[in-house]
This record gives sequence, C-alpha cells and structure tokens, in this order.
Amino acid sequence: MFDFAHFTSMLPDIWTAFGQTLLMVGISLVVALVVGLPLGLLLFITSHGFFAVRSASKKANRIVNNVFSFVINFVRSIPYIILLVALIPLTKVLLGDTTGPLAVSVSLSVAAIPFFARLVETSLKEVSKGVIEAAIAAGASPWLIIKEVLLPEAKSGIIQGITMTIISLIAYSAMAGTIGGGGVGDLAIRFGYYRYDDTIMIATIVILVILVQAVQISGDLIAKKVNKK
Amino acid sequence: MIEIKNVSKVYRSKKKEVIGVDNVNLTINDGEIFGIVGYSGAGKSSLLRCINLLEQPTSGEILVNGQNLMTLPAKDLRQARLKIGMIFQHFHLIEQKTVGENIEFSLKAANVAKDKRNGRIKELLAMVDLSDKQDMFPGQLSGGQKQRVGIARALANEPHILLCDEATSALDPTTTTAILKLLKKINRELGITIVLITHEMEVVKDICDRMAIMQNGRVVEHGSVYDIFADPTNPLTQEFIGSVVSFDIPQEIMQTFTGTIVKVLFKGDTAGQGIISDMLQQFEVRGNFLHGTIEYIQERPLGIFMMELIGDGQDIHRAITYMESRGVTVEVQ
Repeated sequence: MFDFAHFTSMLPDIWTAFGQTLLMVGISLVVALVVGLPLGLLLFITSHGFFAVRSASKKANRIVNNVFSFVINFVRSIPYIILLVALIPLTKVLLGDTTGPLAVSVSLSVAAIPFFARLVETSLKEVSKGVIEAAIAAGASPWLIIKEVLLPEAKSGIIQGITMTIISLIAYSAMAGTIGGGGVGDLAIRFGYYRYDDTIMIATIVILVILVQAVQISGDLIAKKVNKK
Repeated sequence: MIEIKNVSKVYRSKKKEVIGVDNVNLTINDGEIFGIVGYSGAGKSSLLRCINLLEQPTSGEILVNGQNLMTLPAKDLRQARLKIGMIFQHFHLIEQKTVGENIEFSLKAANVAKDKRNGRIKELLAMVDLSDKQDMFPGQLSGGQKQRVGIARALANEPHILLCDEATSALDPTTTTAILKLLKKINRELGITIVLITHEMEVVKDICDRMAIMQNGRVVEHGSVYDIFADPTNPLTQEFIGSVVSFDIPQEIMQTFTGTIVKVLFKGDTAGQGIISDMLQQFEVRGNFLHGTIEYIQERPLGIFMMELIGDGQDIHRAITYMESRGVTVEVQ
C-alpha cells in the first residue's frame, strides 16, 4: 500500500505542495487578522453600546451592528466550496489569474474574515463587564479601553480564535485544490483520488494531521501562557 | 458638592418597566462620608451609578461641583470622571495586567506623562500599603489586597469624590475593618468626599457622617448618622438599626413587669452624667435596668437604656420630666 521508494521520489512535489499550503494559509490568515480583528471589535462594541452614552448614538450603534452582522452571516452561510467558485470573477479582477495558491488566497481570506471576526467578538464577550465599566468610570477614552482593557483581557481567547482560524484555513485550503489552487489538498486529489496513489494519499493525510495537531497544541500552549488569570 | 435633583431611573424592557430610582433628591457635602443603605433591589446601586453617569438617569439632574454632568459632551464627561474615583464590590481589576499597570491605566486615562507615572504609582501603592506588590497580577492577591489596588487606582488622578459600590461586601470582617479604616484615612487626609452604598449597617455606623435609607427606589429617611441612630422614624430605618443595636425584650419577660417601661436616650455629652442616679435619689421612684448600651458613633457616645420605673404615677411623671429637663430623651413604651 505505502511504497517508500515512490514516496521518496515524490518528496520534492510534496515539499512544494506543503509550501503552497503554508503560503495560502499564511496570506489569508494575515488578511483575516488584519480585517477580522477590527471587525470583531466593531461588532462587540456596537452590540453593547458601551461607548454610547446618549440614546441617539445607541441607535446608531444598533444600525451599524445589524448591517455588519448581516454581511457576516451572509458570507458565513455560503459553503466554502461554493464561495471558492463564486469568487473566481473577483479573483480575476484582483489578480488577473484564477489558479495557484495566490489566487485561492482571495476566497480563503473572504471565508476567514467573518469566521475570525465572530471568534474575536465571542472572546470579547467573555471580558468582564465590570472591568469595562471600571475603565469607563476611570474616565478612559474608548480607544484606551480597547487597547488597554478589551484586547489584553481577551488576548487568550483571541489566540485560541487564531488557532481555530488556522485549522479551518488548512481544511479550506485542501478544498481549494479542486480548482487548481495547489497545496497538499491539490496533491491528494490529483494523485490520491484520480490516480489511486495510496502512498501520496497516506502521506498527505499524515502531513495534515501533524500540521493540525502542531497548530492546536502550540495555540493552546500560547493561550495558556499569556493568561495571567 | 454633589447635588442629585429629582433623579429617576426607569429600566425598560419589552414586557415591563422597572423603576430603579424614584425621584431622589439628595445633597452630599464636600468632605463628608455619605452612606446609602438599603436591601438589594432598593435602587442604591443604580443611584450611585447615576452619580458618574455609568447609568444615565431617565430624568432629573446630577450636579457635581455645580457642573451638570448630564449635558456634558462625551469628552468633557470623561474629564469629569477623572475626578470621580470609583471602587467596586468585585474590584474589577484588569486581570491580565499587573498591579502597577492597573494603576497606570488610570494615569494614562488622564494623559499623565510617561516619566511621571512610575513615581505616582509608587506613591499610591505606599498609601494603600502594597508597595511590594507592584509586579503581581490581581489573581495572586487576596480580596482585601485587590480592593486596595482598586482604591489606589481610583485615587490615581487626585479625585475629589470616591464612589464605593458595596466595597466591603465581598470581604471578611477583619478585612472590612481594615478597608473602612483606609477609606476613613483617605477622607480625613485627602479631604475626599466619599459616597458609599452598603447593606451593612455596621459600615455606616463606623465611618459615615450622614446617611440615606432607600426602599423601592426612594429615599425614605436621611440625615446625620448620629441623629438617625438616636431617633429613627421610618420602620425600615428602625429595622436596619435594630440589626446593629437591638433592644428587643422577649414578650414573656415584658409581661412580668409591673412598672412603667421607658426608653432613655442619652446623646453626646449627657451620657454618663449620672442623670439616672440623680433622678433616683430625688424622686420616690425605683428603677430597674432591663437592657442598655452605649454606642460610639463618630466618637460621640449614644446611650440607650430600657428601664422599668416603679412607683406612684405622679412621681414617675415628674421623674421623666426631670430627666427630660437634663437633656435626655425619654420614651414611655
């Protein structure tokens, strides 16, 4: 079943595929963090109206929250495999190309942003309301409260959110192989599925399992280490 | 000075309206320790949180040193809050920051220059006796220590008011005493006005100058703690004071007395002047002490005794008049 000689001969391809997976996951993770973190913050802040003293601004908060919530739910309700295909025209406009790891990063990012934003929102909800109130009572500005209270207090939860996002991205990136996105998933489908190449199939599964386990374990470790509670 | 004028707070949910604070008027003077007492749900916490607008009153005005907080733009409200410190029952410290960083947060809120912060943090920690805990995290401290950090943080920007939201309710009796002592020291040494809410009458008796009793969102009685302890008029106030100073004599025992039962109240200097022994010598009346205590409220003695006076009705009447003429309050039961 597992042909070691064949595996060795395929090693360069496996390495390339592995590198492509890391590239796809890496690019879309960065985009998800850069866009998703502020988005999650926005969702949290507008849902609580902490910084809105008067009722007029509370109403404005509610409207902003509803709009962003709707968009996020909309994107999240589309299965990734469909999003992948649906975003091909957008990818073409943005990059002029629709295949390869870079092209797939577009749809991966679009999928990861709302996913991560919701995780950020959830970890912010875990922050004690009293601690936020104490900061408001101290006369701190919203920005200072975000920087010095919300983010530090939610840090451990956000790190766990990043871990979950990476693992989801690894899974999604395997699907991206179906439209020629490259990466470990692509390798598995081309060799393992179309050519009944068990060796490559087993190798890719092992790689993915190791990768996911490594991400989860190190994510948990970091989350635990930063938590002073 | 804090002026609370016609303040009401109504909580509206889809199904019903709950009145948290019902048309409260109170004036809290500079430099005093003011206690707001009530059972949970009486609205005392809502009222306290209205003072720094953590709760926006539904109607009425909050004036702090003449400034109406409710009409201030957000930025000015933040400026005003820098000068109104607040501490909480559950401390509400930033768990992921050290003790020093928690205090630094308040200084950052006031835009204190970076090079000046550390000196001020050390000063504040010394004030609350936690100089060795600057680099610890709140999770490593005891409840009393956490509250001290809370106090240091609240005092960081030299406020003129300190609001205490059940600040000692989560602490054991010994720690409570220590924290109350610290609050009193802050009040005396820094001249900070303290407003505290509590359900423990002991707290009020120990440190407050004036007090208000709340029930169903309303202030049912307010005034100097001494006067209220000496002569509570509202049944709820009597109940609260009864939890500290109790004069209940069992009914069965009451029935065995044949004489007139009187409650004798000595205020301040009149306590211990031997008025009762003078009275007993001058009139044809015998007296039995049934119950009695001398409480010290703000270092002023308040003596309360239950007595049975035995003798001729006329003599008893004259004895009572005599005691009253010496400045003692006598209530015939």
